[in-house]
Amino acid sequence: MTIAFASPISAQSLTQDEALTLAFQDAQLERRTAFLDDEQVARASTLAGPDVEVESTVVSYYVATRGGGPVGVAYFDVHRVRTLPQVVMLVVGTDNRVGRVETVSFREPPEYRAPDGWLEQFHGRELDGELSLKGAIANITGATLTSGAVTRATRRVLALHAVIDPFGAEVHDAEAHDADAGDLTANRR
Amino acid sequence: MMRLVLSCRVTIALTALLISLAPVHELHAQDADSVRLAELESRIEAVTRELERMQLGRDVVEADSSIQGLGPAASKVYRVNQGVSLGGYGEFLYENFAANREDGSGSGARNQADALRVVLYVGYKFNDRLLFNSEIEIEHAKESFLEFAYLDYRLTDQVGIRGGLLLAPLGLVNELHEPPIFLGTERPLTENRIIPTTWRENGIGLFGSGDAFSWRLYVMNSFNGTKFTAGGLRGGRQKGAKALAEDMGVAARFDYTGTPGLILGVSGYTGETAQGQELANQPVGGRVSIWDVHLDYKKRGWDVRGVVAGAQVSDVTAMNSLIGLEGASGIGSNMLGWYLQAGYDLLRTSASTHQLIPYLRFEKVNTQRGVAAGFSASPANDLTVTSIGAAWRPVTQVIAKLGYQIHSTAANTGVNQLNASLGWLF
Repeated sequence: MTIAFASPISAQSLTQDEALTLAFQDAQLERRTAFLDDEQVARASTLAGPDVEVESTVVSYYVATRGGGPVGVAYFDVHRVRTLPQVVMLVVGTDNRVGRVETVSFREPPEYRAPDGWLEQFHGRELDGELSLKGAIANITGATLTSGAVTRATRRVLALHAVIDPFGAEVHDAEAHDADAGDLTANRR
Repeated sequence: MMRLVLSCRVTIALTALLISLAPVHELHAQDADSVRLAELESRIEAVTRELERMQLGRDVVEADSSIQGLGPAASKVYRVNQGVSLGGYGEFLYENFAANREDGSGSGARNQADALRVVLYVGYKFNDRLLFNSEIEIEHAKESFLEFAYLDYRLTDQVGIRGGLLLAPLGLVNELHEPPIFLGTERPLTENRIIPTTWRENGIGLFGSGDAFSWRLYVMNSFNGTKFTAGGLRGGRQKGAKALAEDMGVAARFDYTGTPGLILGVSGYTGETAQGQELANQPVGGRVSIWDVHLDYKKRGWDVRGVVAGAQVSDVTAMNSLIGLEGASGIGSNMLGWYLQAGYDLLRTSASTHQLIPYLRFEKVNTQRGVAAGFSASPANDLTVTSIGAAWRPVTQVIAKLGYQIHSTAANTGVNQLNASLGWLF
């Protein structure tokens, strides 16, 4: 029997560069790092909610620009699923809503990995009560730990995003805002 | 006078020189500060990049490069950190039986507290394509089983091959039987007697998934039909232990998963079960065919599921003769069971992680819906069970349940019971 392998196994793992390219094709990327003080970490923790850990004081993120204007920012969140870690890229649009969620690395058995269709539930979500497994996010039957981990990661990133405010005032009056935010989901695999 | 003029000129010249030199000195100092600042920024950048590498993993952060002569994408699997994944689940169950059956006679049932099962999950991921997965179970505090153990090999993103001790991919509970996942203190009887959860056999097969569906197709050693009873197929499981493999079976499943929170699917199994036994020098088939349609919906506080499952057994007269079953004790040639269950989280709108879910399940099971000519059906095998209770989840992985089951049979032999259970998974 001859078995033909598909050489790229992108659904299994991505590099950081590949994930950023998926989200921001043809955009300029700038890596920035936020150094948070205790008060900022506490504020992010409060925003994220009682069951979400926010501990890191050093947060690196990637701001994408096109034509000189910001179009989104990507965060990479690493967290434990069962025993092993998962890395998720979360893209936040200039409207401060989730533009994209991508599993970058998943070390547990693939059957527990969140399907792309399930991750799409997060698109357009903001940090509110609906962003939870008790709210608008459906659980993955058979992958409860993954469902909880991704949901908590999304709340954590949106909370950090609110504290860091990477766009500042520069974006709020950007006229191209809506069109650019739409680009964030245009390059899905 | 000349000395005074000269002195003045020297003073002016020196002053002019000092004035002219001062900006140069400040400029040099500023340049040095800028260099130091740039150097510090560079060091901070290096430190934060290293921190990011450590947090995310080098296989994620480092740029693609070729390993072992493979292209960057193909070689990526060899950089993935390997490792053991541990987990587990379990449940304790207390059953308090009514003193009388529904016909008023004494039930004779004794209350029971059972360390029903504690399961350790062990997995090892060799690389992104190849992994081992297993569950080792201790039931009733003293019986150990291998619940499943298999190797997976991913042929593509969408399709893989799996071999070992496999869970039959039928129904809702057989593959996903962790207590926090399902409501009810006990598993539904439909998925106990017709789909005999936890049903696992040795085999090999394919599995796959797409954007909106998943499927599995296995070839497994079949049941040992000489262990079937009038109460269903459960006794025929071989559980992977020196399993007779004269007869093999085929199991398949297809689920629609395109709507988050919803699983809607069908599954089936067919295989002969006599395992080489003969009757009067004639081979016996004893084919069993099982089918099911299932639905599971969990969203916005609702937890709804339903299963309809049926089974047909051929050569029942010969199988009964092989086993020595007579009258109403014969294997059913036709079995049918179904249940519908619904629960709702009363704490859905609260900010806490707690869930409090009252639930109701209605179920009918008949393992002798049809019997062979010359045999009779026992009305005691025609059951109706209504379960009402509540489940409390402080977190999604831990559950405490309290429920009351009203059992009724066509023979009026049902015995009601009050159950309490604790369950967890991690």
